Amino acid sequence: MFTRAQDSKPRAPRWRRLMAMVGVAAFTATLAACGSTPSSTGSKTVTIVFATQGLGAEAKATQAAIKGFEKLHPHIHVTTNTLSASSNTAYQSLVTDFGSNAPTPDVITADVIWPAAFASAGWIMPLNRFHPSLSSFFPGMVKAGQYHGQLYAMPWFINVEGLYYRTDLVKTPPKTFTQLVKEAKSAMGHGRIGLAFEGNKYEGAVTVFQDVSGGFGGQFLNAQGKPVLNSPQNIAALTWLDNAIKSGLSPAAVTGWEEGNVQDAFLSGKAVFATNWPYLFPLAEQKGSAVKGKIGFAPPPAQPGGRSTASLGGDMLVINKNTRYPKQSWELVNYLTSATTMVQRALISGDPPARQDAYTGSLLKQAPWFAQEEKVYVDATPRPVTPLYPRISARIQTALSAVYSGQLTPRQALNQAQTQVQAIISGK
Amino acid sequence: MASEQPGAAAQGNRPPLWGRRRSVERKRAALGYGLVVPALLALGAVALYPLLYNLVLSFQHHVLTEPGTNAVVGFANYVALATDPAFLGDLVRTLGFTGVSVAVEFAAGLGLALVVHQSFRGRGLIRASILIPWAVPTAVSALLWKAFFQQQSGFVDFALTHLGLPGSHLVWFNSPLLAWVPIIVSDVWKNTPFVALILLAGLQTIPRELYESAQCDGARAWQSFWRITLPLLRPAILVALIFRTLSAFLVFDVVYVMTGGGPGTSTEVISYYNWYKFMVSLNFGYGAAVALVITLLALALAAVYVRILHTRGDLT
Repeated sequence: MFTRAQDSKPRAPRWRRLMAMVGVAAFTATLAACGSTPSSTGSKTVTIVFATQGLGAEAKATQAAIKGFEKLHPHIHVTTNTLSASSNTAYQSLVTDFGSNAPTPDVITADVIWPAAFASAGWIMPLNRFHPSLSSFFPGMVKAGQYHGQLYAMPWFINVEGLYYRTDLVKTPPKTFTQLVKEAKSAMGHGRIGLAFEGNKYEGAVTVFQDVSGGFGGQFLNAQGKPVLNSPQNIAALTWLDNAIKSGLSPAAVTGWEEGNVQDAFLSGKAVFATNWPYLFPLAEQKGSAVKGKIGFAPPPAQPGGRSTASLGGDMLVINKNTRYPKQSWELVNYLTSATTMVQRALISGDPPARQDAYTGSLLKQAPWFAQEEKVYVDATPRPVTPLYPRISARIQTALSAVYSGQLTPRQALNQAQTQVQAIISGK
Repeated sequence: MASEQPGAAAQGNRPPLWGRRRSVERKRAALGYGLVVPALLALGAVALYPLLYNLVLSFQHHVLTEPGTNAVVGFANYVALATDPAFLGDLVRTLGFTGVSVAVEFAAGLGLALVVHQSFRGRGLIRASILIPWAVPTAVSALLWKAFFQQQSGFVDFALTHLGLPGSHLVWFNSPLLAWVPIIVSDVWKNTPFVALILLAGLQTIPRELYESAQCDGARAWQSFWRITLPLLRPAILVALIFRTLSAFLVFDVVYVMTGGGPGTSTEVISYYNWYKFMVSLNFGYGAAVALVITLLALALAAVYVRILHTRGDLT
């Protein structure tokens, strides 16, 4: 015991010294990695980081656009940072980046419902100082990018939720919800679904509800930003959706459906009507599709006193407040939101341009469905533009789900949501 | 940590020795402590620091979307939490889920362990294959079972219909009560093998002679199960229950993937509530308070089990 201790005596410090050296080396390496950032000098090449969603065709479109941009601006190098395809996950990872005041990513793709939250938190910069020209963009998209009178986000591509219908079963798209029920019922039979819609407890159920709510003359927040969720119009709208399930116009399974399920039902020819986004159109027109040449896309119906409301989706581009390269970042945003780049993207990935002047003859010739879609974009209605939107939406999701599962009546559920949203807005 | 220092601990009990030896011993102890330091630092960085930071956060108004408004608010977050009916509702649901799923997992796990403890042909293969569900990530198994429980297209619906059993064509996820069935089934499917594994290890420590002598004394099979197997298995049972109870109490992924807490809020559990406050409300102050309360509740549960282990003398 004693000898062993003596034996190990000279060895131990050496070993410890080695450990200490390894530790110091690792620590220094980490520090060096953190500190190695490009310095911003005029003519030197700078690297900006573009955080964006999208895989497959969308990634291809983005890479093509970046290649064109780098050719035009040889001193700006763009690296992409792919965000999660799940909107919620992407949002959470961006919140973490912003929350730590990181200077990158410099340019970020933001879902249309995020800019208000990012702007209120002071994470993204107002873009007015770059004097963007907005006249060609769809007004709903521009509205979604504004917060407290300032522009924080440039529209990149638009998305709206409209009503798909079968042209072989329905002569003209229904103008009212009453008409929709009538037409669906007469075309049902043969195991067909009258209306396929997104009823799962998630964001997609809220956009469907907004479409119907607007059609009945309802709103989520009024012009003063006060919640009006339990208005008679909203109760009527939710009752209509609930009845669609109860009366068998829509199968009970829609209470678990998201876009993909609605897509399956409609593309297999099993649904007369379906609420979905533009991406479905090219899929339906593909070779081998059961509904090829038999579908139309129209603005959602409206009851007398209501207004046809197509929920706005789509992506915007925002710039990190802490970026080291505001000018270069704006150059990228400006390039990506030009009509030419948007047409290129529409042809590669099918993402509909967010500006009207991009719907050129050549685009419509190659992708004729954009002609029908464009009519719906004009009615596009953003969801409430407020930093509190994610929380408001979560309450509406719960209310819808409680109604569809028969736990609450539309009136009870909306009263409850109204109280909760009031508390959220008053900061409790 | 203390267990890594047997030399250092034993040293204190020794009678004082002459100087030189003592100094050598002290040096050895110093080396011991030095070797433990990296582990302590790592633990401090990944466990202690976040816990303390969380504690500090929980006394603040800290909402990510309201930068610059951070203020110390004392116990305000805790008061709000104690009076939030949503949290209390979620807590009751969580306890219900924990009770049911752990009970089922224990019963099924014990059955499985007893079966694979017997000797039969292909036992090795069976033992290995019952572990497969446990190797599947929770999110994946939840997605799998979600698909299985879909109306019409799902395997469960198919099976119930073809076996002529009640429950076919149910929309499982649209009922406040039925929505728990897929969640519990998924949890049980994944975690029963874990319980079985621990119980099987426990079974293997029971001496065979006990059963033989019981048999000589004319004990029936159920008597030796009740009088020998269960009492001697108690330490293993308690270990399995501790693990399962705590992880069921903190369940998140199955619920998040399968129902999102729906329909309505009928499958919302406390971890989901916590996630919501952090990641949707971005209210890190309140979220931290919730996290701390959940940690304390989990510790309390663990303490109950540890106490049982101690009083029964199973913990040595």
